[in-house]
Amino acid sequence: MNFIRQFFGIVGINLSSAGQRLGSVLTIIIGVTCAVGVLVSMLAMGAGVRRQSMGDVREDPVILNSTGAFGSQSSIPRDEAVTARGLPSIKTGNAGEPIVVFDLMVPIEARRRVTGTRIFFPLIGTTPTFTQYRPEIRLTAGRMFQRGLHEFIANNPCRRQFSGFEIGDRRSIRGIDWSVVGHFDEGQSQQCILYTDVDILMSTFNRNTYTLVSAMLKTPADYGVLRDALQANPTLHLEVRHEREVVEAQLKQLKGILDFASYFVGAVMAIGATLGAVNSLYAIVDSRRREFGTLRAIGFGSGAIGAAILCESLLFALPGALLGGALAWALFNGLSASPFGYNFRLAVTPALGLIGIAWALGMGLMGGLLPALRAARLPVATAIRAN
Amino acid sequence: MRFLPLFWSGIWRKPARTVLIFLQVSIAFALFGMLQGLKTGVDHASAAARADLLIVHSRLSFLAESLPSGLIEQINSVPGVKLVVPVDIFGATYQKPSDRLAVVAIGLVGDWPSAFTYTIAPDYVAALQKLRTSALVRKELADKYGWKIGDRIPLMSNTAQVSGSTNWAFDVVGTFTDSDVGGARYIIVINLAYLDEARVLGKGTVQHFNVAISDATQAATVADEIDRRFVNSPQETKTESLLELAQSQTQSIGDMNFLIRAIVGAVLAALLFATATMLMQSVRERSLEFAVIKAVGFTDRAVFLIILAEALLVCVAAAGFGLALATVVLPLTAIMQGLSMPTIVVAVGLSLAVAVALISAAVPAVLAARLRIATALASG
Repeated sequence: MNFIRQFFGIVGINLSSAGQRLGSVLTIIIGVTCAVGVLVSMLAMGAGVRRQSMGDVREDPVILNSTGAFGSQSSIPRDEAVTARGLPSIKTGNAGEPIVVFDLMVPIEARRRVTGTRIFFPLIGTTPTFTQYRPEIRLTAGRMFQRGLHEFIANNPCRRQFSGFEIGDRRSIRGIDWSVVGHFDEGQSQQCILYTDVDILMSTFNRNTYTLVSAMLKTPADYGVLRDALQANPTLHLEVRHEREVVEAQLKQLKGILDFASYFVGAVMAIGATLGAVNSLYAIVDSRRREFGTLRAIGFGSGAIGAAILCESLLFALPGALLGGALAWALFNGLSASPFGYNFRLAVTPALGLIGIAWALGMGLMGGLLPALRAARLPVATAIRAN
Repeated sequence: MRFLPLFWSGIWRKPARTVLIFLQVSIAFALFGMLQGLKTGVDHASAAARADLLIVHSRLSFLAESLPSGLIEQINSVPGVKLVVPVDIFGATYQKPSDRLAVVAIGLVGDWPSAFTYTIAPDYVAALQKLRTSALVRKELADKYGWKIGDRIPLMSNTAQVSGSTNWAFDVVGTFTDSDVGGARYIIVINLAYLDEARVLGKGTVQHFNVAISDATQAATVADEIDRRFVNSPQETKTESLLELAQSQTQSIGDMNFLIRAIVGAVLAALLFATATMLMQSVRERSLEFAVIKAVGFTDRAVFLIILAEALLVCVAAAGFGLALATVVLPLTAIMQGLSMPTIVVAVGLSLAVAVALISAAVPAVLAARLRIATALASG
């Protein structure tokens, strides 16, 4: 009990006299603020990527691609795709047809609105069931593309970032004039995507294979049934994966780079801020040697003094964490970024705020340890005579 | 110079404090050096890309579309063109699906290596010509899988052979290095004539042409002339120099500019505050000493300069250490190969260190200079 009363007594004195040591206290707070602010804003990139791509992912869609192929290299002959339509456990749509979509992806080039730099994104040819496969697609202007016509719809992020995607705009693809007939939103996605009729795209590009076949399962638990049926059929050279797995595989590298960079820079800055905190706390302890010596002389324990310094360090780190998180949120939340050509919005989430607070408390603890030891070990006799 | 011992003793008056400040400044500048070095280094590297090398690809899409290899004659006839080399590329995997690599099939015409950024020993160039199924492997890739000359490497792909198989095998006859900073790391070079003969689809087509031109300053004119020849044909082309391609490639890293600037700003702001507080504290503690040296005849100006000099010495030395650290670490980052620290970043870093020292020492130095001897001695 005695220890606790002493501890709170000293913490009380420390806090009430913090104003006299404003410089040192602000050094700790500002150092922690900057370190946490940078960490949280950088982690917000990884969180943004995740929120955007995983936010719309459900458990029932599955994706079939040709065995061993990755991404756009997959190619599925028409007959195999048609056979895939008859696989078991696939949900049926409004008109009783299985919800299976055949997609062909063709990379298309566009120029950024502001900088004029070139970027590639997919023009996806698809079949009519795709609106049931992707119910999150919402037309915001214009109309849906019609089968058999050279027209496509573009999503709103595309219209915002690139020139040439307003409704009525024409674009020459393969020497043929294609027109933009509608705009849509698809969940959280900030990636540029265009949809058109798959048959017209195939004839334009002289293709007779699809890139992917996507299907909606009756229930997520039916995955195994579909996979077994696929393996049992020797005429199909396809493998099935959850949409979630496909998306995760695509993002693994990008998210890995972003998270590594975040923690690396965050750790380096945290070390810097911790060093600053150690220095400031040493200065605080040094300037109050007589005070601590006196406290010891009148019966306060050295443990209580050390613990109070440690507590002070943690208490100063905390406002730094809150301030840093708030700054990151104010400056970067919702900001569009496109490192490595991947578009997303930064997301400063509550979880990141907690990571920031934990990070700050870590800095406070590491920073307070040595100065607390020094304060606890002050020899009473010399400390009292210090000036 | 004769004041050096004085600075020195001032700096080491509280060794722990000086070491901590030194480390803090070093870390801040190591971070600055790495972030800014990455950004500037990538910019420099892309600016150094060859301007005398043009890539002719389909106007429709760089990646997905092919061109008939017959265009070579028409491109060759454009004035200023020295050499045209047809190139086709396909993706393949080794042992595991994650062991990806790119197979670059090159038409072996004339002095073809001059139209690439590759450095290949003449023996290997000759060896590639001799054996149809031969392959040159980029050094990094050979090291990764331990491939040696004489090895036969089996690859899986989506490109079907006439036999129906999508498996390919190549004989390693040599290795090469690539100076293109944006180039893919895991590539092998094979004989286009062999690929074209062995594959089922896409016979007689290539993905792009590499064009070496005689005068790099004429790159834009030659590129426009090549594209003009194919306007309104079924194979419209788009010709760009390697320099333009590198610049558009590194643009995506340029998008990070704002973030890099924000981080560097935060680092410097925190640092400035920390050093300023520490110097203030130090001058306050040493007011008695400054009063004494003033009493023995040092002018106000001298005291002012002593404090500035101490701050400069510590900050610049620490920044130098931090930047040296960044210079060592930077080439190890995996984002781009052969990245080195640009001198300009070191120069800017050191000037920033001088600025941090001067700004944070200014107020304490003025206070010390204005110190009244009598008051300071009396308060001690």
